[in-house]
Amino acid sequence: MTAAPSAPARATTAPRQIRWLLRLHRPALCAWAVLVVGLAATLLWLWGPLTDAAATGWHQYHTRCWSAAPCRYDQDAILRYKDLHQYTTVAVLAVPFLAAAWAGAALTGRELETGTARLSWTQTVSPVRWLATRLTVPALLVTAGTGLLALLHHVVWSAGYHRIDSVKPWDDVPTFYTGGPIVVGLALAGLVLGALIGLLLGRSLLALCASALAVVPLWIAVHTALPHLWPVATSVSGRRAFPSYSGIKVEEGVVTASGAHRPASTCTIDLSPGCRALNDRRGATGFYTDYHPYSHYWPLQLATTGALLALAALLAGFALWLVRRRTTGTRPGGKAAPGAGTGTGAVAHAGTGAAV
Amino acid sequence: MSSDTALRAEALGKRFGLRARWALRDCSFRLPAGRVCAVVGPNGAGKSTLLALAAGLTAPTEGSVSVLGTTPSAARPRVGFVAQDKPLYPQLTVAETLRMGADLNPGHWDAAGAERVVRGGGLDPRARVRSLSGGQRSRVALALALGKRPELLLLDEPMADLDPLARHELMGTLMAQAAQYGTTIVMSSHVVAELEDSCDHLLLVGDGRIRLAGEIDDLLAAHLRVSGAADSAGLGGHTVVESRVTGRQVSALIRPAGPLPGDWRSATPSLEELVLAHLRNPGAPALTPAETEEHAA
Amino acid sequence: MVEYRIDRHSGVATYVQIVQQTKQALRMGLLKPGDRLPTAREVVEATAINPNTVLKAYRELEREGLVEARRGLGTFVRRSLGTAPADSPLRTELEQWAGRARAAGLERDDVAALFTAVLDTHFQGDPT
Repeated sequence: MTAAPSAPARATTAPRQIRWLLRLHRPALCAWAVLVVGLAATLLWLWGPLTDAAATGWHQYHTRCWSAAPCRYDQDAILRYKDLHQYTTVAVLAVPFLAAAWAGAALTGRELETGTARLSWTQTVSPVRWLATRLTVPALLVTAGTGLLALLHHVVWSAGYHRIDSVKPWDDVPTFYTGGPIVVGLALAGLVLGALIGLLLGRSLLALCASALAVVPLWIAVHTALPHLWPVATSVSGRRAFPSYSGIKVEEGVVTASGAHRPASTCTIDLSPGCRALNDRRGATGFYTDYHPYSHYWPLQLATTGALLALAALLAGFALWLVRRRTTGTRPGGKAAPGAGTGTGAVAHAGTGAAV
Repeated sequence: MSSDTALRAEALGKRFGLRARWALRDCSFRLPAGRVCAVVGPNGAGKSTLLALAAGLTAPTEGSVSVLGTTPSAARPRVGFVAQDKPLYPQLTVAETLRMGADLNPGHWDAAGAERVVRGGGLDPRARVRSLSGGQRSRVALALALGKRPELLLLDEPMADLDPLARHELMGTLMAQAAQYGTTIVMSSHVVAELEDSCDHLLLVGDGRIRLAGEIDDLLAAHLRVSGAADSAGLGGHTVVESRVTGRQVSALIRPAGPLPGDWRSATPSLEELVLAHLRNPGAPALTPAETEEHAA
Repeated sequence: MVEYRIDRHSGVATYVQIVQQTKQALRMGLLKPGDRLPTAREVVEATAINPNTVLKAYRELEREGLVEARRGLGTFVRRSLGTAPADSPLRTELEQWAGRARAAGLERDDVAALFTAVLDTHFQGDPT
């Protein structure tokens, strides 16, 4: 009798593992449900009655209050909309941090810290499966919840834009990040990053703080890379004018006689005699601006989300490899443990690098 | 690899971190199936590391360990393990904990057996694990490991938190498991006396190395406690584990290589004497399985 | 059914204790031919000793022809030991003797020493 009987047994434990994971983390599950339901309800309220009321308020303001004379308009509706919109935006922006800290780091870090991870591993649950469950289940819940919130946030924005003055254009940073799948991608990458940090640190509180912090550079990196993930549109003008664009500006500079675009950080219009002289020396025949127009909204969202999902998958693969290596191990240049041939392939064969 | 081997280590070593001290080094031994094995040694000797390696919870830095004829990870469904700190999910009740054991070990869960262990301690199945005392937690952890009906049971200091009555009762339960199912049991302790009556095999771990390995009867038979006058013929030729001079008398623990000179009085040492003599004298040569087999031959 | 009590401080090997207690039970008539000895599982559950120790003791008893193992059924008593059931005339005489010893002012230990000394002279060389 070798490992053969364990294979079907493992396959059948997956749903039970999920059930027990949900049972073990019932408080966290409830907190997430309350957060999502509460925010969704608020967003629905914003989308319907509050948008209408605020739009009416702004309409009153613009029609009645164009002169200095006293006028009446529904300021309360405008402020209520603005406040609630701000709160929900901040809350949705916080989701990647929450996912990283609690669903990722605290979940794995705590189990390693208290030794319950080892308890699971010595039931008929392999460490790799243990981690896979602890990544998949939160990932599904985070995707569902965050996806719903982003969708609602987007429809709220669509309903309010151009009708309510406090609603920012699409390229406003918080508006852009809360209104599409990108925030789901951030939450998922944060989740896996958090789980990896939890695995590496093995201390729940430390991992919780570290992974919340780690989302900051992640977000900065995403924000930096984002404009380059989709081909830009270019607007060109002559020396006497300047390129017109709307949306996210990526790069600007001068057009030379050969037609080449040379990026420049100053004097991208002939603002002053000094600039004019500089641009003469540059041999500029005109100016250009690379930018993303509104039509790039979904391509940018989807491309960035795709990049984040790829990162999440990479980190997840690394985390799974790490946990397998720690518990099964391949030694540099060493042979696998005897009898490995009868195993289920759980013996890692990825082995490169020195033992940790 | 023969299936009558429960555990085999070959040049097994474990180091936590690249610059850390070796927790375990050069461990080679074979534990036949069906034995009740005591892993004895002072705190920090490497007992827990050895058990964690066998349970597939951590990977060896060098060498290898095989469990029930396969790798520790492939043997996982057939091995039970109780860690020294008896980790359990504090938010679950006792009954839920056992139900989880049943769910995660489908096809080989002994619900009645697990419940019997828990009930033996008068535990309320509805009590939350976080409200239990150390001894009660040990009982639940043991129930979870026994309920799995493992072929090999690895227990790290299983009795440390238990009162003498519970200790005797649970040891009886473990022995009954071994008697009925032929379960191989490996349990560590730093108290030899605690395991003396229950175990038939010994692994003495000292300072990360195996000092003694083999059947307890064989190990005892391989040693003699001798005493004689200080001026009597020397013990040259025999392996002296420990030797002490008190006044005009010499007493020693030796591994005889042949007949002793007639003026020595000799007796079989107790297990505790054997263990303590080896721990007090780290320089004494180890007695490893190969040597015991030679000795038996 | 016999119940074993293991005294770990007696200095007597555990399996020898089981052999001795079984023989004692045979002598006292507590075990009779055809009776089943407790299974190894039952013994170790109550005493927490190693199962192999029980098996070793039973093998010893089997070797002496006192019990036989029947595969799958258990270990059974083949013959009884001694001729001194609890209510035999020999016991009555011993009872009377012990009463006289006490009346004569002997302590328990004195009586035991005396008894052992007499046993030693009469049963010299016999196996215990």
